[in-house]
Amino acid sequence: MAASTLPVLTGVVRDQRRSLVLWSLALAAVSAMYISFWPSLGDGAMEEAISSLPEEMVIAMGYDRIGTAAGYMTSTVYGLLAPILLLVFAISVGSRLVAGEEEDGSLELELTSPVGRGRVFAERLLALWLDVLLLVAALTAVSYLLVMAFDMEVGFTSVLAGAAGLYLLVIGMGTVALAVGAITGRRAAALGVAAALAVLAFIFDAIGPVADMGWMTAVSPFSWYLENDPLTNGFDVRGLLLLAIIPLVFGAAGLVRFDRRDLMV
Amino acid sequence: MTEVVIRTEGLVKDYGSVRALNGVDLQIERGEIFGFLGPNGAGKSTTIRVLLDLLRPTAGRAEVFGVAPAEGGAELRRRIGYLPGELAMRGRQTAGGLLEHLANLRGGFGSERIVPLAERFGLDLDRPIRGLSKGNKQKVGVVQAFMHAPELLILDEPSSGLDPLLQREFLDLVLEARDRGATVFMSSHVLSEIEDVAGRVAIIRAGEIVDLDDVRTLRHRAGQSVELEFADQVDVETFRRLPGVYDAAVDGTTLTCLLRGEPDVLLKAAANHRVIRWAAQDRELEDLFLDFYRMPVNDQAVEEVAADGR
Repeated sequence: MAASTLPVLTGVVRDQRRSLVLWSLALAAVSAMYISFWPSLGDGAMEEAISSLPEEMVIAMGYDRIGTAAGYMTSTVYGLLAPILLLVFAISVGSRLVAGEEEDGSLELELTSPVGRGRVFAERLLALWLDVLLLVAALTAVSYLLVMAFDMEVGFTSVLAGAAGLYLLVIGMGTVALAVGAITGRRAAALGVAAALAVLAFIFDAIGPVADMGWMTAVSPFSWYLENDPLTNGFDVRGLLLLAIIPLVFGAAGLVRFDRRDLMV
Repeated sequence: MTEVVIRTEGLVKDYGSVRALNGVDLQIERGEIFGFLGPNGAGKSTTIRVLLDLLRPTAGRAEVFGVAPAEGGAELRRRIGYLPGELAMRGRQTAGGLLEHLANLRGGFGSERIVPLAERFGLDLDRPIRGLSKGNKQKVGVVQAFMHAPELLILDEPSSGLDPLLQREFLDLVLEARDRGATVFMSSHVLSEIEDVAGRVAIIRAGEIVDLDDVRTLRHRAGQSVELEFADQVDVETFRRLPGVYDAAVDGTTLTCLLRGEPDVLLKAAANHRVIRWAAQDRELEDLFLDFYRMPVNDQAVEEVAADGR
């Protein structure tokens, strides 16, 4: 039974089930709405509108690729709405799952139970990864359903590639929040660091190409996710590997520190 | 040979530059109900948190069942039931749901005792946690601490929030645990909360154990506030000299004093006059703390008070 093998994770997910359902529905609905505009824009009207915008803005917002179905999905959903919503979710949940519950004391009974500290941290991190997996799966399902419904030229592999990059980006920032919280015990620090990183990554990805500063896109996880246009070109192994480093490194750092420090529940 | 369940030696804990524990020595044996008394902020919860491995000692040593809490880890905590001083519980789950979850953290151990314990304390398991009163939350805390019949119970301010009837029920539960061989370590800032069940009591003040005795001696030492009203003026000096009488003062025809020990001598002295009203009240432990606060912190002074008490 799951309850006995991963009791901490089970408890967390049971607590979250209602908000998880609501988040999945909201994410799916907003994404569906945007993707559904495609058929009415597909006849070049969009490109016409874009051509009247300043070139820098077009590049920064990624509108240069909006003419294709994959480009349109990237510019609206996969490069903007979905990451923003998912990052808000993952960073707020991540900062709450350890630091938030340590600060308000609700972690006390779990930490004094016969479950090791490292285990508590790991299962809570796993719960976060599972939450995001669920949301990304919902997004992927809706996206591909609409791709088929509107006969858009986006392959299934490409949708999966986009989902994989998005997933790794989001759990990366969520893990930063959870780990900074586990290291400091402060929810505000966890939120601040992770949100700042996410915003920087987004800005670097947007400004890098415009300002012609390659180092910005080289260090931006957002660029690792989108630079090679996964919805057009499929899996980008290098980008995915870079993205995978963040949750692993921060997860390990959080685990090590959480096991050693004083817990102020 | 008696087994030592909790042992601390020179336990020191600093929070940054603030010293919360300054060399705490404790030795609690199997089967004891040990009271841990002190005003708020004296270091009770800090000591308890070290025993549960939430905090790591700055210096000195703590052992539970012969191992340091950090080394014993999860396996050690399997043998402990803990009731936190400030129980924080979140979420929209029900009281029963939370208790099941806590039993799951123990591999399901104790879940069969949730219902009988909840019934005993009149806790409605179907109510959501967030709507529970402080008293009801405390019941949840009591149930989770006792449900797996642990060998060691660590109870931080256990009866806060419980009404007197349930407080009695709670103390019965403590006694039952002791009778089946468990050891109980319970803290409080009020002596009356634990004096009916505790054997030995340690008093902690500003991170140091200032007194350790059995509860009867302690109560004796706290003494009684006595007030006697006479028909005529009395000479305060005749009372001031009596053994066991302290701080005697006369205001008009009323004598007030602190009495430690048997009242016999005082009563006989008072009987030389016409007494028209008398009152004697057990002093609160807070007064005893105040005695300690007034004292310079050195062993000799503690010895003097201790000797006076007997």
